[in-house]
Amino acid sequence: MHRQNYSLARLSLILLLLLPLLLTGCKSDERILEKLGLVQTASYDLAENNRIKVTSCVPVIDPDSSARRELLSTVSDSIKEARIMFSRQTDLTVVSGQLRDALFGLKLAKAGLGDYIDTLLRDPSIALGVKVTIINGDAGRYINHLLEKEAAGNSIPNTTLYEFSRDYNDDGIDPVAPIVKDSGDKAVIDGIALFQEDRYRMKIPAQDGIFFGLFRDDLRQGEAALHLGEEDGRPVVVMFSSLLNSRKVKVHRLGPGRFKVELLANIQGSVLEYTGHHYLNKAGVRQQLERDIADVIMAKAKEMVSQMQQHNVDSLGIGIQIRNTLSYKEWNQMNWREVYPQVEIECKAKVTIKDYGKYM
Amino acid sequence: MPEKLRPFHIAVLMHMTQSGIVIFTLPRNLADYFGTNGWLFLVPCIVVSTFNIYLISLVFRLGQGRSVFEIMEQTIPRPVLYPFYGGLAAVWLVFGCMIGKKYVLIFQMLSFPTTNPMVFKLAVDILAFLMITKGIYSISKAATLFFWLSAWMYLLMLWFFPAFRWERLTPFILKGGHNQFKGAMEIYSAFLGYELSILLFPYVNKNKKAMAGVYAGNLYLAVLYISLAIICFGFFSLGQLKKLLYPLLDLLAYIQFPFIERLENLLYGLFLFPVLVTVVMYWWAAQESVRRMLPRIKLSVLSFLLIAISYSISFIPKTLDAVGVWITNLGYAVTGIAFGFPVLLLLLLLIQRKGGEVRA
Amino acid sequence: MEPDTQNIPTLRHILDEFDQCADLSHRRFPELSADIVYFPHTVDNNLLIQEILLPFDRLQADGLDKLFLQSQFVETRESKAVVVGILEGCVAVFHGEAVYLLDAYGPEGRSVQQSETETVIAGPHDAFVESAPTNLSLIRRRIKSSHLKIIRCEIGEISKTTVYILYIKDIANLKYVQDLQNRINRIETDAINDGGTLTQFIEDMPNSVFPQFLTTERPDVAVSKLAAGRIITIVDNSPTAISAPSSFFEFFSSPDDYYQRWALGTALRLLRFLALVITISFTAMYVSVTTFHYEMIPEALLRTLAESRNRVPFPPVYEALLMEIMIELLREAGARLPTKIGQTIGIVGGIVIGQAAVQAGLTSNVLIIAVASSAIASFVIPSYMMSASIRLIRFGIIILTGIWGNIGLVMGIALIVIHLSNLTSLGSSYLTPIAPMKTGDWKDVFIRAPFSKLSSRPSQSKTMNSIRQKNKK
Repeated sequence: MHRQNYSLARLSLILLLLLPLLLTGCKSDERILEKLGLVQTASYDLAENNRIKVTSCVPVIDPDSSARRELLSTVSDSIKEARIMFSRQTDLTVVSGQLRDALFGLKLAKAGLGDYIDTLLRDPSIALGVKVTIINGDAGRYINHLLEKEAAGNSIPNTTLYEFSRDYNDDGIDPVAPIVKDSGDKAVIDGIALFQEDRYRMKIPAQDGIFFGLFRDDLRQGEAALHLGEEDGRPVVVMFSSLLNSRKVKVHRLGPGRFKVELLANIQGSVLEYTGHHYLNKAGVRQQLERDIADVIMAKAKEMVSQMQQHNVDSLGIGIQIRNTLSYKEWNQMNWREVYPQVEIECKAKVTIKDYGKYM
Repeated sequence: MPEKLRPFHIAVLMHMTQSGIVIFTLPRNLADYFGTNGWLFLVPCIVVSTFNIYLISLVFRLGQGRSVFEIMEQTIPRPVLYPFYGGLAAVWLVFGCMIGKKYVLIFQMLSFPTTNPMVFKLAVDILAFLMITKGIYSISKAATLFFWLSAWMYLLMLWFFPAFRWERLTPFILKGGHNQFKGAMEIYSAFLGYELSILLFPYVNKNKKAMAGVYAGNLYLAVLYISLAIICFGFFSLGQLKKLLYPLLDLLAYIQFPFIERLENLLYGLFLFPVLVTVVMYWWAAQESVRRMLPRIKLSVLSFLLIAISYSISFIPKTLDAVGVWITNLGYAVTGIAFGFPVLLLLLLLIQRKGGEVRA
Repeated sequence: MEPDTQNIPTLRHILDEFDQCADLSHRRFPELSADIVYFPHTVDNNLLIQEILLPFDRLQADGLDKLFLQSQFVETRESKAVVVGILEGCVAVFHGEAVYLLDAYGPEGRSVQQSETETVIAGPHDAFVESAPTNLSLIRRRIKSSHLKIIRCEIGEISKTTVYILYIKDIANLKYVQDLQNRINRIETDAINDGGTLTQFIEDMPNSVFPQFLTTERPDVAVSKLAAGRIITIVDNSPTAISAPSSFFEFFSSPDDYYQRWALGTALRLLRFLALVITISFTAMYVSVTTFHYEMIPEALLRTLAESRNRVPFPPVYEALLMEIMIELLREAGARLPTKIGQTIGIVGGIVIGQAAVQAGLTSNVLIIAVASSAIASFVIPSYMMSASIRLIRFGIIILTGIWGNIGLVMGIALIVIHLSNLTSLGSSYLTPIAPMKTGDWKDVFIRAPFSKLSSRPSQSKTMNSIRQKNKK
């Protein structure tokens, strides 16, 4: 037992020696919650002379204060430099560990986001889950409105830093991000911004977002309102909801540097609204409707794809599919940007109406 | 009565010794040095490490479970062996110490960036000292508990299945790498640790199952490495993976629970457990070899001296890169020992067998 | 050996020995030329009347010799033995030259009552009392087997406390019994008052925070431990029985687990291990997150947490320590006061002070929740000793996290793990069945499997007879 007493004495001695060591220092590394300016949303915009205008939104914690959030704004040469300037503007330590939204102005997006994304990712306090949004207009001005947008639109998927950086660094796909514009008192989703590498090229309007989504990836949830032409002078609209989509891709090689790609979207969903004059409980009517819906989707998709090819953005990840049918040497010798506009892309859709609500 | 280590505990001990700080950089190194589907390179690593363990088990069998030091001293005069023992101890001691230092430096990237790293290093060393003084049986008990406290983390891999795509793995086998010899050595160092089982002979039962534990620990590690690497290759794109210095940190940061986020802050802490066991085991090995030279010295004094020496050495490299260089270079030495030592022992055993001087 | 004159028990000697013991009773029976000497409060009055007073009343002087032939009268020739006998509750009868001792031990004692510290919902409610014979009877009536062996020892230079070591032959490992007996015999102290004290004399590492022997005041627990091959030690004048060897995880099981259905028992066990995690880490996590790791707070909680911290003037670690100390004060005050006042203290302290502290802006309400839930969780641990140890450790962990955040928490846990792995109980690993790994034991440690699956005794008792039951369903 004496041996153990000895070991305990030694342990306590060590702890005693350690204690003053522990108690000194570390103060500079404290991040006490209420003394922090927690940047939740940051926007980046191009200013004159290639400088960047950075605006950060910091919540005001004091419950007695009428303002819920405080905006800090500055023009600087780099993103991180701006943070130092912010700390001078407020008595709080400005930190970026709670950053949730990164907004980029359209001008900046056109010039290329790569460097900024890299800077964000280098900071260990910023995680991959930060949402990337493009602002059609001046990013800093609308930051306040944007905070209310969240619930507004969910037909356009979020893009996180992870997804943006993943697609940007992949040689067979180009990144996308939601684009938002200001309409008076609040911000609305404008559509999907398509990038070539890290540079903004074109956008897909919000109402067509779903068609893009169907052919980019599998979908687990979504809805679309489709116009199926007119009937007796009235527009026929189908509200197709609870979409489940699985995308398949087939690649055919037509010759050296020439490919044909078939994108097959297998869509399931329920019809919530139908303004046509037929009874949906008839199998024949439903099959016709399924074909009509598929036609509309295919027409939209065709138009979209040809635009994308014109702008040379491979947002659907056709490159990945073609790459995976080639050998490493062939893929590397091929200049994908030159080949892509010539690829024959055929979008096919197969629609299944799972149910049509609880009313005939 | 001195208790013997059971096969299960040998497996856990070896597994915990092998897994350490390398796991944070492993997927990135695979992608960087071996390019597409770099995870495949782990397969030859497993084969080689298994072969190495086979060599060790041959020593175990031919030497009939005698301590390796006894085997050597039977043929070679002690004074000749002293420099060799000293070399072994030095390599193992500093290797363990650098692993500890690297852990601390990476940790300081996440939090406490301005605190002196040597304060944290001191705390880790004190923990290691407390562990090492009670002998290998206590080390293995602590390792088992540490194993259960950290093993559940691998379930978190399930989180990445929704974003996982096989397409991102590409069909190309190990294309686009560079500097593959250096890479191979660096990646192989992720498996190191099993070679310390050669010092466990006096502490295990003299039957076949003892070495089965070492194989099992190595295999379990390999399964974890491969699954982690596949997850990384399918979750990140190749280009992205090459840019991420510590992909595991990014993976952990991506996980969000409703009540807690940014798990890397907490879970990086939990990786202290395997790192601690690794450090302790290397130091224990160093201590075993020094004890052979200085059998009179009290064990706790010896461990204190060794840890004090290694602590002073760890003052030398100041930056993460410098520590990385030390680890790479020492890794060569440790790999050399892992293969050279059993081969040397086998030669000795064969000589002894021919001379007919094998003692029962 | 020649008995020297000092050793011959004469009435004068004995009365000299007990000089100034005012409570000694000495009665003379001149007509019988007999004297009786005893301590009235240690003997059973009925027994005294029946065995001595009534016969003395009936008999003549010569009839006494015959009476003393009866076996309850033990002739004693040593003065010392007579003194000890009287101290242990015998009546000494002096008749002529001869001295007889009649064991009439039967002091007043508490009757068997409900257990206060280890209550169960279903199952037996009786608890050990201060009298060792009563306690032994509580066990004997549960184990009707001649294999239940009882070794009697005596410790304490002046207290002469009787200690009984109980084990079941053929189930318990005799090495443990031997070891325990040696340890008890080696004790040199003046007095031992309780089983809790005794454990600290015989534990493997008495300086550890963790109790290495399980203590219980429930006879049903003691019996189940005996049946599992463990050894029970009962100390006279103490309601605490000691079970050895014990493992860390054993402290988390309650007899209730066995009295209820297995699914419920399993759920309760898992709940207790969750409670362990909560107790150790809840307040610590609060401190760590609010001091160092603000990134970990989800968006939805951010504002709540930040607002609640907003008016608090102290750093989180001081705030947390303040509230933790407050809770411990409340608990201690409640424990020292009678039950009814104790409840009032709980209400005053918990509700009034807690509420006021939040409104005054001294603490944040999130912290109150954290502190209260970790305190509640600590009381879920069935063993009072273990729960107290863990509550103490928590303070260390909170300080560590206040200094180093999450890594401090992890280092604290590592320290506990290293310490636990160095602990032994009667020489066997304290961490059984995790290290050494005995998966067979897990079904009665981490969960409570149906009885049909619990067919073997725990490996820690190293029994030679490990099959507990054979009835396969």
